[in-house]
Amino acid sequence: MDKKSFKGYLYLLPSIIIMLAFTVYPLIRAIIMSFLGDYSIINHGYSSIGFENYKNLFADPDFAKSLKNTSIYVICVVPASIFLSLVIAVLINSCKRFKALFQTIYFLPYVTSVIAIGIVWRWMFNSNYGLINYFLGLFGIDPVQWLNLPQYAMPALIIFAIWKSMAFNILIFLAGLQTIPEDIYRAARIDSTPRLRVFTRITVPQLAPMIVYSSVIGMIGAFKVYNEVFSLFQGKAGPANSAITIVYYIYDKFYNSYKYGVAAAGSVVLFLIILALTQIQLRVTGEKKKK
Amino acid sequence: MDIRIENLTKTYGTLNAVDHMNLTIKDGELVGLLGPSGCGKSTTLFMLSGLTTPTEGRIYFGDKDVTNISPEDREIGLVFQNYALYPHMTVEDNITFPLINRRVNKAQAREMALEMAKVVKIDQLMKRKPGELSGGQQQRVAIARALVKKPQVLLLDEPLSNLDAKLRVETREEIRRIQQEVKITTIFVTHDQEEAMSISDRIAVMKEGVLQQYEVPQTMYLNPANVFVSRFLGTPEINSIEVDVKDGEISANGLVLRKGVKLADGHYKAGIRPESFYLDENGVSLSVDSIRMTGRDLLIFSKLGSTPVRVLVHSYIQVAEGDKFGVSVREGHILIFDGQEKLIGRF
Repeated sequence: MDKKSFKGYLYLLPSIIIMLAFTVYPLIRAIIMSFLGDYSIINHGYSSIGFENYKNLFADPDFAKSLKNTSIYVICVVPASIFLSLVIAVLINSCKRFKALFQTIYFLPYVTSVIAIGIVWRWMFNSNYGLINYFLGLFGIDPVQWLNLPQYAMPALIIFAIWKSMAFNILIFLAGLQTIPEDIYRAARIDSTPRLRVFTRITVPQLAPMIVYSSVIGMIGAFKVYNEVFSLFQGKAGPANSAITIVYYIYDKFYNSYKYGVAAAGSVVLFLIILALTQIQLRVTGEKKKK
Repeated sequence: MDIRIENLTKTYGTLNAVDHMNLTIKDGELVGLLGPSGCGKSTTLFMLSGLTTPTEGRIYFGDKDVTNISPEDREIGLVFQNYALYPHMTVEDNITFPLINRRVNKAQAREMALEMAKVVKIDQLMKRKPGELSGGQQQRVAIARALVKKPQVLLLDEPLSNLDAKLRVETREEIRRIQQEVKITTIFVTHDQEEAMSISDRIAVMKEGVLQQYEVPQTMYLNPANVFVSRFLGTPEINSIEVDVKDGEISANGLVLRKGVKLADGHYKAGIRPESFYLDENGVSLSVDSIRMTGRDLLIFSKLGSTPVRVLVHSYIQVAEGDKFGVSVREGHILIFDGQEKLIGRF
C-alpha cells in the first residue's frame, strides 16, 4: 500500500470502525443467534442448534399475521403515498405565491415526532369526537370504531402512514420538478399538449429517477414499520394484535417474551425479504431505463 | 402568411424590453432578428409565439389579430435555443407528439413524421433518444417537430448558438434550404451578424428594444441607417472616424479623403469599412503599425492622423511593419452621419 492510499484509509477508519461495531457485527451476531436455541447457564450450552427458531417462527400464527399485515401495509402505503405526493408536488410547484409556505406545511410531518403525530391522529380517529368520523357523519356515514375494532385497525394505520410518508416524497418530487427545464413545458404548450398528457407524458417520465428512489426507500421503510403502530395504538399492536407488523413482532418476541432466537430469526427473514424485493425493483427499473 | 407587428411593446418593470416596434414580414420570407444580447430580439420572438404577452401593441398573422390568441392556437412552430426536445422520448415520438396531441391517428402521425424527418435528413435516427444525438442532429429533430404540424410561421430562437463553428455554417444553409423547401414564413433570432446576413431575406436590427433598421442584407450593409447598425454589421468592424467638411472637402485630422462633395460645412461622424480602402499611390499616405493575416485577406492596422484605422487588402500584397502605403476610399463608401448618428449620405 502506498503512502497516499494509506492516508486515505486512515481517514476512513473512524467510520469503518463504527460501522463494523454497530452494523456489521450485530448483523452477524443476529444471524448466528437465529440458529441458536436458549442458552442454559447450568449446562453451559444451547438447547438447540439449527433451524429450530425458524420452525417456531413459521409455526407462529402471529408471525404469519404480521407478514400479511406488513405486506398489505407496503402494497397500500407505498404506491398511494407516491401517487398523492406526486399530485401535491405538481400542485405546489405550480403555485406562484405561497409556494414556500405550502412546502413548509407539507414538510412538517417529516420533522415532527411520530409520537406527537400519533397523539393527534388518535384524537382524529376517535370514534366519538374525532374529526374523521365527524366528516364521515356529514356524508351520512355512521361513526367508525377506527382504533377499537380489529377490522378497522389496519385501515387506520394505513391512512395515518400514507399521510406521514407523503412529506418526504413531496420534498423529493419538488426537488425533481425544479430540475425539469422550463423550455420543455413551453415546447409542450406550443405542441398543444392537454394538461393531463403533460403530467403523464412529460412530468412523470422526467421524475422517473425520483419515483424509483422514493419507491425503493419507501418500500424499505414500510417493511420496517413499527413507530407508526406503536404511536397510533399506544404501544400495542392494535386491538387483539390486529395491526401487528414484522418489526413489532420482533420487538415483542425480544423484549416481552425473551425469545431472542425467534426474534433474530424474524429479523433475518425480514432482511431477506427486503433484500430480494429491492433487488427485483432495481432490476425492473434498470431494465426500463435501458429501453 | 404575412405578419404585421404594430406598436409592439413589452415592459418589464420600468424597462422597455421591446419599444413600440413596427414590422411587416412578407409571406414566405426568412427574417433575421439581429442585435446584441438584451436588445429585445428574443422577447419579440416570444411575443410572436404567444408565450410572452405584449404590454402594448398588436400582432397580425395575415388579417387575423392574434395578439390575444394562445400559443397552441397560433399555428406556429417554435424551435428553442436549447431545442427543448423531450429527453425520454425517441426522435419519432418527439416528432409525432404534437400530431397525437391534435388527435391525428398514430399511423398517419408516423407517416407525417417520417416525411418531415426526410426533409431535415434525420430519417435514419427515428428510434434514437435525443441524448444519443449530436447538437446538429438534435436541432434537426427540433425543426422537424416544429414543422410537422404544418404551421403557418416558423420561429427559431438562436438556432445556431449551441453548435460548433463548422457545423454552424452547414446548419444555417440547411435552415435556408428547409425554409425554401417548406416555403414557410420564418423568423429567427441571432446575435451573429454574419449568420443573419448570409441566410435572411431581410434583417431587423434591434438595440435596447428599438428597431433600428429593417432591410435586405446587402442594402443594409451598404446603407446602414445609423452608426450602431454600421458598427454591428461587418467584420472587421467599420472604422469610425471624426471628419470635417469644408468647401466640399472631407478631411480627417487634416488628411483629405474626398473632394467636391455637396455637404454643409461642419464636423461629422464618418464610417469607412476596412475593405472600402484601396491602394492608391496618389491617396492618403499611411504607415503600417501591425498586420494580421486572416487567409484571404490581410488586415493592416494603421493610423489616419491620430485615429486608428483598419485597412483590409488582398493577402498577396507584401507589406511589413513600418512600411508606408497610399490609400483612397472607393466612391460612395464614406458614410457620413449627423449629430443624431443617422446616415445622411454616402460620398
